[in-house]
Amino acid sequence: MRSSWAGATMPGCSCVTESVHRLVPAARLTKWLVSGPPFLFLLLFFVMPSVIMVLASFRYPGEFGGLAPLAATDPGVLQGVTLETYQFFFSDPIYGQVFVKSIFMALSTTLICLTMAYPLALLIARSPKKSRDLMVLLVILPFASNFLIRVYAWMIVLGPQSALSQMVNGFLQWFGIAPVHLLFSPFAVLIAMVYVHLPFMVLPLYTNLEKHDPSLLDAAQDLGANAWQRFWRVTFPLSLPGIFSGSALVFIPVLGMFAIPDILGGTGDMLIGNLIKEQFLGTRDWPFGSTLSIMLTIAVLLIAWFTARVAGHRGSYA
Amino acid sequence: MRRGPWLWATSLAVYAFLYLPLLIVVIYSFNDSRLNAEWVGFTWHWYDTLLHDEAMLGAAGNSLFIALVSSLVATALGTMAGIAMHHYKLRLLTFMVLTPVAMPEILLGVSLLLFFIQALNLTLGMLSIILAHITFSIGFVAVIVRARLAGMDESIFEAARDLGASPWETFRYVTFPLILPGVVAGGLMAFTLSIDDFVITFFTAGVGVSTLPLHIYSMIKIAVTPEVNAMSTLLMLLTLTMIVLASRFAPDVLKGKE
Amino acid sequence: MKSLSHRAHRENRLSLCGLCVLCGIWFAFGLSFAKADDVLHLYNWNNYISDETVARFEAQCACHVVQDYYSDNEEMLAKLAAGATGYDLIVPTGNAMESLIRQNALRPLDKSLLPHLKNIDPAYLNTAFDPGNRYSVPYAYTLTLIGYNLEKIRELDLPTDTWAVIFEPRFLEKLNGHVTVLDSQRELIAAALKYLGYSANDTAEAHWKQARDLIIRAKPYWAAFNASSYIKELTVGNIWLVHGYSNDIFQADLDAQKAGRSFRILSSIPREGAVLSLDSMVLHKSGPRPDLAHRFIDFMLDGRNGAELTNLIGSGNPNRDALQYIKPEVAQNPAVFPDRAQQARLEMLRDLDRHQRRVLSRIWTEIKLR
Repeated sequence: MRSSWAGATMPGCSCVTESVHRLVPAARLTKWLVSGPPFLFLLLFFVMPSVIMVLASFRYPGEFGGLAPLAATDPGVLQGVTLETYQFFFSDPIYGQVFVKSIFMALSTTLICLTMAYPLALLIARSPKKSRDLMVLLVILPFASNFLIRVYAWMIVLGPQSALSQMVNGFLQWFGIAPVHLLFSPFAVLIAMVYVHLPFMVLPLYTNLEKHDPSLLDAAQDLGANAWQRFWRVTFPLSLPGIFSGSALVFIPVLGMFAIPDILGGTGDMLIGNLIKEQFLGTRDWPFGSTLSIMLTIAVLLIAWFTARVAGHRGSYA
Repeated sequence: MRRGPWLWATSLAVYAFLYLPLLIVVIYSFNDSRLNAEWVGFTWHWYDTLLHDEAMLGAAGNSLFIALVSSLVATALGTMAGIAMHHYKLRLLTFMVLTPVAMPEILLGVSLLLFFIQALNLTLGMLSIILAHITFSIGFVAVIVRARLAGMDESIFEAARDLGASPWETFRYVTFPLILPGVVAGGLMAFTLSIDDFVITFFTAGVGVSTLPLHIYSMIKIAVTPEVNAMSTLLMLLTLTMIVLASRFAPDVLKGKE
Repeated sequence: MKSLSHRAHRENRLSLCGLCVLCGIWFAFGLSFAKADDVLHLYNWNNYISDETVARFEAQCACHVVQDYYSDNEEMLAKLAAGATGYDLIVPTGNAMESLIRQNALRPLDKSLLPHLKNIDPAYLNTAFDPGNRYSVPYAYTLTLIGYNLEKIRELDLPTDTWAVIFEPRFLEKLNGHVTVLDSQRELIAAALKYLGYSANDTAEAHWKQARDLIIRAKPYWAAFNASSYIKELTVGNIWLVHGYSNDIFQADLDAQKAGRSFRILSSIPREGAVLSLDSMVLHKSGPRPDLAHRFIDFMLDGRNGAELTNLIGSGNPNRDALQYIKPEVAQNPAVFPDRAQQARLEMLRDLDRHQRRVLSRIWTEIKLR
């Protein structure tokens, strides 16, 4: 829900010409004055917390929550450092399964977003310049409402009394199939995931498609390619960078999501995000929560690295 | 042919998908039923309830205050970071600025919780939320400012230097006026992100400091009345007004590209 | 000279932005600090006090009550362990209270400020969780039991006096997904353990696994794990059978009658036994206003106010003085005032240590994933 506008700006900023700086003392001072404050702030509030999370994963959980002391004065109290949480993580396949399930959810969301966003982005890119801004604005606008409200909207739309539920169940009844519950189901989770992340896919795709040279398609047409071939052989391959950055912008947030399964999920909808949240705000097991968070970080980094490799250009992790 | 009927049809369907649920939220805000399951009748009651709901208004006030402070600080730090990333190509800084933007939010939320409690021993509250919001906003501001700088001709700065301008003068009279639209856009972005944030606030909020998203969450989880819909409708109107105003002031804010 | 006018224009715009920001800050300050006078921070179960009662207390003490809610003891404990400080008053269940006492997180009561303490039935005092009531005053009690939509259950001809109806597919099949169970590791496992014939406090991993398998077998027939909004779903008629708290089911019935629904929502104590939660008011050490907290406790100990809790919320009442004010139809409700035979089958939960919590969490993950 965060990277919408920034996402659109990313592709444009890789083509900077190198400039030569004469680092006279004044300039060196400027360099430190400019980069120092944000560097220090992020060092304190981003790097340090991450380091502490890594350290916490090697500790014992405190008796009442938090972390057990490093050095305890009372005998019999667990103390010091341990690999226990990692052993616990790998001792049971269930945690791996949660990851697989979350990755599967993220993958489905990404694919559905892609199929929905592509035609829209294509239409906007091929519209007259004047109307493009408005069409993009119309994609961003629902985004301006709060994330939870967008999720809550589906609670109403999918509720048993809603027109949609009645329609679907009327239709099923016609075929003699027992009525289904749309709310509190994996379906509800998936549809809300798509809904919340769709603009992340549309914007980078549009930014990419807009830059295509229409004369390429003319040339393809002159060479006898039909509409489908023109799309599949020209437009689609050229849009791959847009597809990759859009996919990363959808895939990664979905992987860590807990609020949507929390609100719309049924009896089986637990993702990594929910598991991590539960360790901190339920079971009071911070070391294990940290371990799970580190595993999630590793998964995200692997996926980002993989995407960057496949996309074949640097910096696509953002 | 390039914009064939199927393209129009699917696009319209996607637009409908984007807007119908929100439309239903708005309609149900006028529903004369506490249970809000089926349509009963029209009423303004929930807007009235909302205006007298002190907990809700208090949360809204907190959200506004947090968003103002955090976006101001994040704009200053983010602008610096954007300039530094552009001029000095600091890879470490770039990594530190962009990673919080790219990671799932829950990771930042959880690590900040650990940090505030275990390392700083800080009482969670307004301060912890503001610090957390600044952390995730810096990256967005920096990216927008850097994009703005990247679109500019380097020779302007060289010219200013050659004419004897000090670094501060170069910044004050050349760089800053040029990147100002980017800074304003970044600031607005940071403001919206802060006011909308749920996940990170969820982990870093303390007692008695509820924000609007946290309050909405507990209402959704515990007792949904059409008051939530009324709140949502008002929020949508507010953001709509903000976007219209923003597009008046700085037309390129919304395009997100230079 | 285009650039000059451009500059001027920009500066105009900048100052306007600045002005907006200043106005905003002023507005935010006005909102957040307008009423920073006497505030009592209360951390309570959701649906555990009526707005009317709170309003009367606010009028009496000329202060303001700010409430936060939880729907599971674990949630409350975790929130406190995660640094939530500043709550004056919390209403934990026995086992959670015991844990808070051992953590040294509570402030001892000043009984001279509680003249109405004598109203409490001695049977609810001096429990194993807080011997001598140094820290706690009983607030109310609830039972975790079966709630049902009378009309539907009659129509389907289902039993309501056994956990089998929650766990056995042969009954659940008829309900077709109109069932929710509590989203609470402790409560759900306890219900399953009870059905299997074990103690709700059994911590043998083998028994937990048996309970897990029972739950996993029944799970496909349930709509959701839900600890708060099932009240509304019962009222609307979307859910016909729940594993829930007695006061929530009471609330659903009241709401359904208010909304003019044709059905009643009733509750029953399964014959295998159920969990009893005695919730007490305690003072958190970090709370800045113990004076207001004591006033609140004594206010709730007043028979009339205590009775309101039962009449409006449907919670069980440990207050002897309150009994005379309780409506007869509520007083006869066995889920609010269970008789002796039923009481014998109720059990209070004990706290788990960190290793047990971790194992239970893994079992819970398996339950949610499979």
